Amino acid sequence: MGPVTLSLVKALELTQEKQILLERLTSLGIPGNKSEQYRHFGIKPLLSRSYDLLQTEQKMPPSGERLTIENGSVTSLPDGVTLSFENSVDADEQHYDALYYLSHLLALQTIVITVEKDSAFELHHRIDKSQTLLPYRIMIKTAANTKVQVYETFETKGSTESLLLYGIDAAVSEDSTLRWIRNATSRTDSATIIGSHRFAMKRQGALELKTFDFGGGSALHLYKIDLEEYAWTDADHLLLASEKARRGNVVHINHNKRYAKSVQEARTILKGAATGIFDGRIKVAHDAKYSSANQNSKAILLDAHAYMYAKPQLEIYTDELEASHGSTTGQLDEDALFYLSSRGIALDDAKKMLVLAFADTLIDTVGDKSIIKAIHSDFEAAYYEKRKDVS
Amino acid sequence: MMHIDNLHAKIDNKEILKGLDLKLETGKVHAIMGPNGAGKSTLSKAIVGHYEVEVTEGHVHYKEKDVIEMTPEERALEGIFLSFQNPVEIPGVNNAYFLRTALNAKRTHEGKEEMNAAEFLKLMRKQVEQLGMKPDMISRSLNDGFSGGEKKRNEILQMEILEPDVIILDEIDSGLDIDALKAVSEGINRMKDGNRSFLVITHYSRILDYIHPDYIHVLQDGKIVKTGGPELVKLLEAEGYQAIEKDA
Repeated sequence: MGPVTLSLVKALELTQEKQILLERLTSLGIPGNKSEQYRHFGIKPLLSRSYDLLQTEQKMPPSGERLTIENGSVTSLPDGVTLSFENSVDADEQHYDALYYLSHLLALQTIVITVEKDSAFELHHRIDKSQTLLPYRIMIKTAANTKVQVYETFETKGSTESLLLYGIDAAVSEDSTLRWIRNATSRTDSATIIGSHRFAMKRQGALELKTFDFGGGSALHLYKIDLEEYAWTDADHLLLASEKARRGNVVHINHNKRYAKSVQEARTILKGAATGIFDGRIKVAHDAKYSSANQNSKAILLDAHAYMYAKPQLEIYTDELEASHGSTTGQLDEDALFYLSSRGIALDDAKKMLVLAFADTLIDTVGDKSIIKAIHSDFEAAYYEKRKDVS
Repeated sequence: MMHIDNLHAKIDNKEILKGLDLKLETGKVHAIMGPNGAGKSTLSKAIVGHYEVEVTEGHVHYKEKDVIEMTPEERALEGIFLSFQNPVEIPGVNNAYFLRTALNAKRTHEGKEEMNAAEFLKLMRKQVEQLGMKPDMISRSLNDGFSGGEKKRNEILQMEILEPDVIILDEIDSGLDIDALKAVSEGINRMKDGNRSFLVITHYSRILDYIHPDYIHVLQDGKIVKTGGPELVKLLEAEGYQAIEKDA
């Protein structure tokens, strides 16, 4: 196939439901370098490349330790979750991201994961095709009064010049908690990952979103999180980008009803000539009285050519709420560095100590010790730019 | 032990030290007193290589080297220690991890084996107890949320564990209550083994009653203008720095 254009999608045989999504895509337009969410990501060359489009027919997989998706096909399924595939799409019709619709349109079926009871599982993506456009969508539905933890990991060896266009649609029922932990490290020669997601939180639903995104490859995740009455989200993003990577998060959190609560913390560490993106918007609707919305972005630039694009925004349409936001971008604290050096600690070790301390603030909130250990290990490998076969 | 010769130094392009000479003798406690802005803290920062201070002239001879040519970590590894007036808070850096890293950097520099975590914790617990510090200081972040007194005790803890040869204490007594002052002074006295030099910068005689300095130096306008024994403190307390000006 040629470049990713509207004509490519229009040429597909689409169901009536998908025609609605095509209308949304048409109205938003295929993103270019001037598109708000992609301005600093360099989307145009990515969509102008020539790819092999890989659309996968799904089959029921054997059971396994984790839920594995290999080049778009589910190949193993853990106990405690139910899997189905749906041709029809229950997509959000108000998403701000064009690629949310594009991925829905290009995915032949949606992978639907239903969780009826408390559970924790790993969702592992494996991509080893080069020069391939790989679109797929995952829907996760949790039953009322459940606690579900998903640990999302990636393996992208051999996926040179590919584009993974995927996304999560999560419907979290009343009084349920979804804990979503993403640990994604990618190398310069790995596939570019664009994830376009939507989390819909019912009354008293809770989303703990903790994303850890490291390395020299490029990735952008775009979220729309909708909060109903008493629903809350704690969204933390730790990003370490190196070399010429462009990595980041675009997060729109909507307080739709009263007593909704959101806390968002983005921490970014940039090396080399990397670009970090944090574009966060918390919107509090007129009906969302007594909301609480707090947003903070902190970035450390370790090299002169690193660039941080931070855009924290609060959009408020009610007077009765508690809100704060802030953003800082700078170098490592010179006084702290000097203090450590004055005790005989070498400058490089002192820098590492401060960077780890900055990162640990978010890593330590994960709770699960084995996951913390894995994230720590990946962070250190990415910090030292160690080559890893598994990326 | 350390010979400071004609030291000139600037901060923000303003000359603060204007040809300072001072000899720190092995096994002796030297106290420096002087009015605000005389250059006391600048002197301590110049010795440890603080980034704010630009040494424009002069030398600091120590172990047959000029420390001015050395990086801050090299100075520390060679045994120079500054207890900071306002120790910086570093959230996320564990106090024990930091101090063990510093100790092992020094041990490696001295050709000794690194101390393992269990051994180090034993040592740290002992020192923490000796200083009357709360045991949870071991696992807390470095100086993060510490009171003024806790920070100063933590400086003394580092000093006792790192066992430096030249110890500079910049207003270690400021903000301390009587119990904390006593604990800190006891820590300093424990380090007086005849092989170290101390440079104690202070505004008050209170701490000097505990640590008994051998020499009192008066620093004014970037230079040492008077050196004497402990009796000089009494003169300063009675007549202020004006007495020295008249004398000088």
